[in-house]
Amino acid sequence: MANPLTLYIPIKQDPETQLKAKLGYDNFVSSVQAGLDTSNIVHYARLALIPNLDGDAILAICLITTFDGPMNPYLKYFWNNGALQQVFTGLADIALNPPSPPVTDLTGFENFINDNNLNNPDDLYNAYDQTVLQIRAKFPPSA
Amino acid sequence: MASTPMPPPPDPRNVQGMILRGYTHPYSCHLLFTFANRPGAAAFMRALLPYVQSAQDWGNAKPARMLNVGLTYAGILTINPALINFPSEFKAGPSSQGSQQSLMDSGPSAPSLWWNGDKPDIHCIVHIYGLTADALSGLVAIVSQAALANGVIEFIPLKSGSGRLEQYAPLGDDIHFGYHDGIDNPALDWPETQEATVPSDANNFLIGYPGSVFNPGPGSGAEGVFAKDGCYNAFRVLYQDVGAFDRFLAQYAPMVVAAIGGSLDDASEWLAAKLVGRWRNGSPLILSPNAPDPKTSDATDFGYSADTAGLKCPFSAHTRVANPRDQPTFPADTPPPRLIRRGMPYGAPPVPPDYSGERGLIGLFLCGALAGEFELLYSWINVNNFSSVFLPDLNTQDALIANRISPSQGDPSFTLELPNGKAIRIPSMPQFVVTRGTAYCLLPSMATLQGIAGAAA
Repeated sequence: MANPLTLYIPIKQDPETQLKAKLGYDNFVSSVQAGLDTSNIVHYARLALIPNLDGDAILAICLITTFDGPMNPYLKYFWNNGALQQVFTGLADIALNPPSPPVTDLTGFENFINDNNLNNPDDLYNAYDQTVLQIRAKFPPSA
Repeated sequence: MASTPMPPPPDPRNVQGMILRGYTHPYSCHLLFTFANRPGAAAFMRALLPYVQSAQDWGNAKPARMLNVGLTYAGILTINPALINFPSEFKAGPSSQGSQQSLMDSGPSAPSLWWNGDKPDIHCIVHIYGLTADALSGLVAIVSQAALANGVIEFIPLKSGSGRLEQYAPLGDDIHFGYHDGIDNPALDWPETQEATVPSDANNFLIGYPGSVFNPGPGSGAEGVFAKDGCYNAFRVLYQDVGAFDRFLAQYAPMVVAAIGGSLDDASEWLAAKLVGRWRNGSPLILSPNAPDPKTSDATDFGYSADTAGLKCPFSAHTRVANPRDQPTFPADTPPPRLIRRGMPYGAPPVPPDYSGERGLIGLFLCGALAGEFELLYSWINVNNFSSVFLPDLNTQDALIANRISPSQGDPSFTLELPNGKAIRIPSMPQFVVTRGTAYCLLPSMATLQGIAGAAA
């Protein structure tokens, strides 16, 4: 059964942070591709930049994903993967209210993810029950 | 590859004994408490300290009675409200949505039904051990008196007997389903380098040391100091439905006889072995596929990788799921974690055909990371999806202890592959085990317990 993660992180409004957010957005897919491919549990992941009311700056970053099975046991995989860790610690670094203490280990990472996860267990629609593994088995990547 | 030396191993005098050594005391009792306030908790701990057993070698002077202490997150907050940076699953507790994504306690196991439907605010669990019944009851009385004197309230978890979680001593190392238990626990070695760490090493269980991919934490701040040399305990009370188990064996033994021949009794034992991956005497199916063998009853040196079709040991057999050994696992599930198991049976065995009465396992599952180790293994138990040996279009489950959740999440069938190319397929496995309650505790270091008590470390 798939579960959602909806990470909503308001970010600082200074130019340097805004630039980091834009760069992170531009490089998101290439940064996470290999790690998420190998995980075999993530259906999709996208990063959205939420504009402020005037539309002239980035108010927040939203990371939206669904994955198979439980979340917490697999956070260690994301933490132990260098590229994925860099993405998540990058989000923590530009947060308007950065985690305290800073995220330096798996405990801090777990808390950062759970503290900023907006999803409710009942708010996910699924068109199908199959897992990533099952879908890949039926539709293997073409050679 | 560069190698980073490990720091020295922990001083066993600072580690609670049950973490690093398996006790063989035949009597134990596990008391659940709620603190009234910090001074009461400190005074209670002060009274307990003389009896807390460390992991120091006791040589020939085996203690006649001793205890170990675990604290829940609520208990830690009562002692020091500033200690908030613990792992999220420890803080939220086992009934939380996040933990239940792995534990999947539903139906009769649902968290709303835990502890007889009561909602105890468990702060502390005291694990008391005795070489004799008198030694145990004497220390239980001391702990109870200390609780009473300090406003610490005991929660009575069972409706039968004394209501307390008491080990059923006559069963020894067996469980109510008739299996010899506690055969294989992690070696708890200390690696030479961080990179050389394997999941059975002690730095995967004790908080505050590098090298573990499971990252036992917290590792920094005041919480890191508090938790250093501690270990988590997923404390789980599991009712074992011996009637359902016996009826299952009786129902399917004729099918086994029809498939492979032999007597009904032999078929029943063969089926029981296939559920677990070991015969009831402990012999692993991989080493003794045809019959139990006293020479292999304690064997731990074997693997599953050569049994590629599950002909000797079914893929969903309990021990093959809970400890897959050398079986390939998916990258996000690698390396497979290990747990230190310190459980014991409670309740008297049934007298068939009367299976009424409360009985089961007092489960102490020790780990350095509740989510990355305990919950990950439990998620595998409930849905076998961690290895390519399982057909991806099935969501099969651990044959013995899985929660039989909805078929869309977990496939309750169990398939026994036979050498002739045929198979015995059991469409729907019964619920053999029901969760009566769960608590996540930290087993703090001796220094931390002394600090709580206000004594000099």
